[in-house]
Amino acid sequence: MNAPSPALVAPRPERLRLVGQRRQILAIMHQRLMFGMLVYAGVIAIIVLRILWLAAFGDHAGRKEGLTQLIPDRGDIVDRDGEPLARTIDAWTIAIHPTKVIGDKLALAQKLAQLMPEHTADQYFAMLRSGKPFFYLRRRASPALVEAVNALGEPGLAIQREPDRLYPQTSLAAHVLGFTDIDGHGAEGVELAFDKYLSDPATRGQPLALSISSKIQQALEHELGDAMSEFSAIGAAGVVMDVHTGEVLAMTSLPGLNPNAPGQATPEQHFNRATLGVFELGSTFKPFTVAMAMDSGVIKSVGQVYNCPHELHVYGHVVHDTHPFGRACTVSEIMMESSNIGTAQIADQVGTQRQKAFLKKMGFLDRVEIELKERGRALNPGSRWGPFETMTIGFGQGIAVAPLQLAMGYATLFDNGVYHPPTILKRGPNNPLPPGRRIFSEETSEKMRALLRLVVMKGTGKKADAPGYRIGGKTGTAQKLINGHYSQTINITSFAGVFPMDDPRYVIVVMLDEPKATKDTFGFTTAGWNVAPVVSRTVSRIAPMLGVTPDLNREPNMGEVLPFVHETKE
Amino acid sequence: MSVRNFGSLFMVASCAGAALGCYLVSLRVASERAALEDVETKIVLAQRDMRTIQTEIGTRARLSQLERWNAKVLALSAPQADQFLKGSFELARLTRPQQKVDFGAPVVLASAPAPERHAAPIGQAETDDAGVPAAVDPRELMHEASLKTDTGTREVPSKPAATAPVGAVGFKSTEKPVTAAKPAPKKAVDKPGLAAAHQTKTVDKRVLAEAQPVTRPVRLAKADPLAPLADRQSLKSVSKTSKDMHTGR
Repeated sequence: MNAPSPALVAPRPERLRLVGQRRQILAIMHQRLMFGMLVYAGVIAIIVLRILWLAAFGDHAGRKEGLTQLIPDRGDIVDRDGEPLARTIDAWTIAIHPTKVIGDKLALAQKLAQLMPEHTADQYFAMLRSGKPFFYLRRRASPALVEAVNALGEPGLAIQREPDRLYPQTSLAAHVLGFTDIDGHGAEGVELAFDKYLSDPATRGQPLALSISSKIQQALEHELGDAMSEFSAIGAAGVVMDVHTGEVLAMTSLPGLNPNAPGQATPEQHFNRATLGVFELGSTFKPFTVAMAMDSGVIKSVGQVYNCPHELHVYGHVVHDTHPFGRACTVSEIMMESSNIGTAQIADQVGTQRQKAFLKKMGFLDRVEIELKERGRALNPGSRWGPFETMTIGFGQGIAVAPLQLAMGYATLFDNGVYHPPTILKRGPNNPLPPGRRIFSEETSEKMRALLRLVVMKGTGKKADAPGYRIGGKTGTAQKLINGHYSQTINITSFAGVFPMDDPRYVIVVMLDEPKATKDTFGFTTAGWNVAPVVSRTVSRIAPMLGVTPDLNREPNMGEVLPFVHETKE
Repeated sequence: MSVRNFGSLFMVASCAGAALGCYLVSLRVASERAALEDVETKIVLAQRDMRTIQTEIGTRARLSQLERWNAKVLALSAPQADQFLKGSFELARLTRPQQKVDFGAPVVLASAPAPERHAAPIGQAETDDAGVPAAVDPRELMHEASLKTDTGTREVPSKPAATAPVGAVGFKSTEKPVTAAKPAPKKAVDKPGLAAAHQTKTVDKRVLAEAQPVTRPVRLAKADPLAPLADRQSLKSVSKTSKDMHTGR
């Protein structure tokens, strides 16, 4: 308009410059505007796209996270049949925040003392006045108590649900299961050994299946507990094991504890005698000595004769027998009457080197091989292992092993001589049976069947027999080492049995620590009187559950051993 | 012109419509998914409740508790070896056939032959017609009866079949040809009536009346040498005619 046309007036140079500048500024402004618009458009586009995306694929507002799958805070432990042995439940917890209490503290303390009498009103009052921010009053409170506490209406009281470990079977298999500490981490047993599996969110949804069978465990615990109280023993241990797979079907240690309240148990109760405790188990070792001798060709027949005098003087020591023969006796008789003198001679013939090698292969010189952390180390003479020690080890003195190890040894001997490490987890896809290692020949394993059946039919273990179940086994009475001396009166009695002997499938080892004589045992404290009946009773209870049908007409081939037993003695 | 002007409007409208349609679909999907999640949540909550209840029941019925009850109340013990059986044969061996026939039936039978014996002369007349023994000693009859059991094992089942319905069939209507087995005895009654003289009916009725309480037992034949024998013979002869009669019908 008022801008002169270039044709009429020559523009002044400064004005020209101004026009040029304005153009430049305009262009820059256009650029900036465009850039700003693009940014806005981009942001809006992103928002729109995001909204569209959410509309199409997103979750809705009411979605509840974490409830689509039931994953417990800590994995379940179940037995081999799926019966729960440990579970995590939501338990009520009552706590108090003393700083947030607004009511009358004295009255509150009195009411609390009424409801929860574990503390006095004074103690509650002291808690309330302490100025500390938080106290637990009761964990795992009953709903009735929670209701009563809630009715107090005090805002300082905190009532909440917390995951808590529950062992529905209470003291059953307590030493196997272990327990958790206050933070929910494993403190003993399987809880400790498989803490990672049980607490890892990826794996804890799947329960941990043990090889334990709760019914068998119950039978073993009950019968063993009865015997323990009958004979006033200070402790007892028992193991039932599958010969072919090495699965521990039951394992108990008494006195037991309740893992729901582990704090109340004494150290004695916490002690796992089956795996952590090592004991000189006495004559239950003799079958190994005989098997070693058979395998290395020392014993060629169970009719082989040894001289069995009333006492044996060797290497500056004297070996005694509880039932001395005072004549020549066969290997069958040595086993039947549990002769130390005979076994010592057999062990002497086997020799220290071979004995050591066999025991090493069988795992008797190391820690017991199991998943639990409570594992005892077997004791042996070490550098003092001379010819006399070889003899004593031959009949089970001078070497201390855990009862589980003994069960493992018997399982090896009767699984055709093949060793499989024991396991506490159920064999299956997650825990396949590892290839075993051969220790004894198949022939030796076969021959031992009749020999051990003989012990129960005619020998020291008569009371262990359960008619029809073909139990074979060996009693063991060991003198207890007290203050460095073998006591003449205090024993550890044990019985290692296998059934059915014509086709061995299960091993049972029971042990009583310091049993006392009773009227029914005629003053004896030997294994044949106190632990052997436990085996008989337990086997007649558990064998039907394990699928072993009793048959009075079946026996292992006793013709191999009976001809070599001198009958006139009886 | 107007169409060209409204073109863009149509475009916008159709775009909006399509977008709305898409949105509705996605909304529908979202709501379905929400419903599904609700169900899943309910399932999980139900599972949790079940778990709680199972845990509680399991804890209350723990094995040590059961053992305690067993020790105090039930006193169950482990089974003995001889309580196990290997199979159905051993199980069957344990049972013996029950002697249930003690409710009086044999007593009636024991007395039954006595009147029969009195009626024997009349009965003999019957048997005469049937064709076997005209005038035979009862002793011989006894002998023959024992012979029969020896030779004809197949006769044994047919005998009760013949005797059993005697009482029943007499009352049952004759127009019922129920099965192949049933008509035969029916005729066994009928036939002597047809073939033999009518005076036998009186005897028949008496025999029937006495035999009626004893519906089934096989012993009727054993204890009574006369009547069943006649029956059986008549059955034999009739079994052929019965077929004829069937076909005749």
